[in-house]
Amino acid sequence: MLIFTDFSENVFLNPIVKLYRQHFNKKSFENVYQISFCKNETLKIKHSACHFHVKIMVYYFPAIAGREFFSVSVKDLLALQYKGDRMGLTYLESVVLSILKRINGERTIYALLHLLQGKRSSQTIQDAHLYKLTPYFSTYPTVSRSRLEKMMESLKRGGLVEEIAEGKVLLTSRGEEKLRLHLAKCPLPEFLNGWKYHQVTESFWERLTLLVQVSSNLIHQERSYIPIRNKQETLSWVKQFIKQQSGDRYTLAERLYEELISALENSAIKPELVIIRLTGFKKIGLTLSQASEQIGMEPTHYHYEFLNCLHFMFNKILDVPSAYPLLDGLLNKAERLEPLTLSAKKTYKLLQLGYSADEVAAVRNLKQGTIEDHIVEIALIKTEFDIDYYVPASKQERILLAAQQISAKKLKQMKERVTDASYFEIRLVLAKYGDIEWN
Amino acid sequence: MELKQYLAKYFPFPDFRPGQHETIDAVIEKNHTISMLPTGTGKSLCYQLPGYILEGAVLVVSPLLSLMQDQVEQIMAMGEKRVIALNSFLSPQQKAFALLNLENYKYIFLSPEMLGMESVQDRLKRLSVALFVVDEAHCISQWGYDFRPDYLKLGEFRKKLGKPLTLALTATATEEVRKDIAEKLYLEEWKEVVYSVDRPAISLALERVASFREKLERTHELVNFFKGPGIIYFSSKKVAEQAASQLREKGTKKAMAYHGGLNSESRVLIQQQFINGQLDVVCATSAFGMGINKDNVRYVIHFHMPMQLESYLQEIGRAARDGLDSIAILLYSPGDEQLAYQLAEAELPDQYQVERLFGVLMEQQIPYDGLSQRAEELSMVCGFTEIQWRIIMEYLSNLESQNYLADSETLMQLVENRIAVKKQQIRTMLDWIQTPGCKREFILESFNEELANKPANCCSSCGINREHYKETKSSIEQEETVMDWKHDLASILLISERIE
Repeated sequence: MLIFTDFSENVFLNPIVKLYRQHFNKKSFENVYQISFCKNETLKIKHSACHFHVKIMVYYFPAIAGREFFSVSVKDLLALQYKGDRMGLTYLESVVLSILKRINGERTIYALLHLLQGKRSSQTIQDAHLYKLTPYFSTYPTVSRSRLEKMMESLKRGGLVEEIAEGKVLLTSRGEEKLRLHLAKCPLPEFLNGWKYHQVTESFWERLTLLVQVSSNLIHQERSYIPIRNKQETLSWVKQFIKQQSGDRYTLAERLYEELISALENSAIKPELVIIRLTGFKKIGLTLSQASEQIGMEPTHYHYEFLNCLHFMFNKILDVPSAYPLLDGLLNKAERLEPLTLSAKKTYKLLQLGYSADEVAAVRNLKQGTIEDHIVEIALIKTEFDIDYYVPASKQERILLAAQQISAKKLKQMKERVTDASYFEIRLVLAKYGDIEWN
Repeated sequence: MELKQYLAKYFPFPDFRPGQHETIDAVIEKNHTISMLPTGTGKSLCYQLPGYILEGAVLVVSPLLSLMQDQVEQIMAMGEKRVIALNSFLSPQQKAFALLNLENYKYIFLSPEMLGMESVQDRLKRLSVALFVVDEAHCISQWGYDFRPDYLKLGEFRKKLGKPLTLALTATATEEVRKDIAEKLYLEEWKEVVYSVDRPAISLALERVASFREKLERTHELVNFFKGPGIIYFSSKKVAEQAASQLREKGTKKAMAYHGGLNSESRVLIQQQFINGQLDVVCATSAFGMGINKDNVRYVIHFHMPMQLESYLQEIGRAARDGLDSIAILLYSPGDEQLAYQLAEAELPDQYQVERLFGVLMEQQIPYDGLSQRAEELSMVCGFTEIQWRIIMEYLSNLESQNYLADSETLMQLVENRIAVKKQQIRTMLDWIQTPGCKREFILESFNEELANKPANCCSSCGINREHYKETKSSIEQEETVMDWKHDLASILLISERIE
């Protein structure tokens, strides 16, 4: 199905060049390494720099729509006329647009970047809660600043967003419509919960894949194989874990099998996305890129659906931990579930010892504002943290009332309504009750 | 006990491979030894077996973390549990625990950076060391094709340990390099066990193509023609990806790219898929291959020319470990050497970067021992790559005194010398490509060897019957299997009787 590849010879392909320029905002074909047609009438452009895998509907090229293309010459392509506007959205674009819609131009795109990367700063954590974006927290740690900036350029060029201030954008009505159409066909993952699970997802997956491999080799009496995980920490953990299990090797594998079937069986998710990645006796699992190619999803889409499956499974395990002793073991004994930043944790300890915020600032040689940031973060995470000491109960009520009346969560507007409240008090109250009261 | 009895007792091998017996003999007779054995002859046996004869621990310095991990796993897979790798994979607690209990280990693998730590050095000094092993010893020599500045410290370290019995292992080292190894390790007297670099089971072919595009097409044809599995080596990650994805899309072979840009999960999986026969061909950069035990690789294609004869030998040496006939093809199109020259220069800092660095150092009066704290900042200001920075750091931090002006000149001198060496090596590789004479003879001559027996399908100059390497089985079109995840999971975790 491949047509042509080498672009080093300055092949000038009108329609595709146009599409490409529009989409990637680049002048040359430098980074494209492949353009191909598939049976299902999509045109793929692979872009090496960021592994874009864009599908462009071939119906934009009326002359070739409906035909099967396995060998189209460069000449043929040159004769085609490009008839269409900007193509559909990539999966990541749909995620980004959904988030931008929530943020509503009140934060820059870098807030979004930090959210996806899972930056552990008070600002990012507060924003995640304020805009109800906690599911996306730390769900794409490898996304880069430049990739996001390029995407923004492309979205602007396509008229899907408009920049209202430096780095702040709003969706245009066109953007809203595109997003709506895209989400109707390809909804966002419903069980995703990055905030709750970001610290356990990776270690759970490392342990699970190793445990499955070891169990599978155990029941096949195979002792000599190379573990697919090479982190010493994971290796020792799984070794310990197996030692603690009662019953023989066959029971262990069977229990693991049954727990996985029970935890994954649901029509709302696609368990095969997880299973094809698993390694067993003489059967090595697929990498992310192989899996996404086999399933036929672009890699980012696959990544999010995969996370969706894992988080669905985590919900199910935590609902009835006793039904999943093995999986719960892999999950619970993972690294601490406490997501306070290190510095906020130190502040928290001092507050618990009875120091006031001012004293903590003095002891730690930090600015008052920093300590206030910590207190807001603590209120977000520690449900038992009492804020009455910092904001009188009556003022809390007035702030919450104002929050309900103002749909856009702009601190400035809230302050205009509750004139005697400081920004710190407003943020603290929103942090404490935001999630519950706004629902 | 005879050596063969030890072999039978501790290892699953019926017999020694060429050079192993001689090397082990030399070592247990307490000779410092430099052993050059062709790749695929099982160099690790040369220190594992003496470990069972000599009293004390065997210290093994290994240049690559992944390689070290592989060796530890292979030793463990043979049932020897007294083995540990001290490297940056360990958490501080694990490291502390391991150091405390070091007496309990027979085989201790170390990365060069670990050896640089005083706490580790002090601990090792109190240990009874039976044998000090330097794996991939050619890395110590700047004439070697894979020079690693941190290997230079090994000599000093060996001195600190009281010059224990030493074994230096390498697959490819000219006489010059071997001499350099001895000098850098402060060996006064040593024995050499040198086996021919020749691999008679591997037929050596050179093919000329006109352009990059033709090369891609030719690669595809070759992959379809030859009996696999095979490895294709590239100098560029990007092109490796491109070729792999083309081979997949054309649909006949299962191909994957392997390079340093992949995450560790993908690297392990692809490597294991290849070993397990789930892939027909891997499109790789030189990151692939070290420490991979796969004995039935039938062909190695070089898409780009290697930078030295030594790395060419190392890479084609991944074929034919089972001794069966295999073929190596290097694809050359005019001007390919330009890429090699560029890569060689890019590894080293240029004059402009060095001047800029010393400008900053002088302006802010930064002492050399303060360099590592400012690595990120200085690399950014001067545009150093990681390798460039490492070379500079190693050079400056080992200087006894500090004189910005003079040091910047000597550093530039060093850089120029290194570039000259690298260029010379590329020219030798190019000579090999262009020689109308026997390709095998050329290689042996450059290692001061003579070709005693010419194998039947020697090289493209002497003539190769390609049919001999042809895939005879017709490839079976794999039916699109309907995916049933429960069945897949059952096949992994249930024994066959229980799968209905």
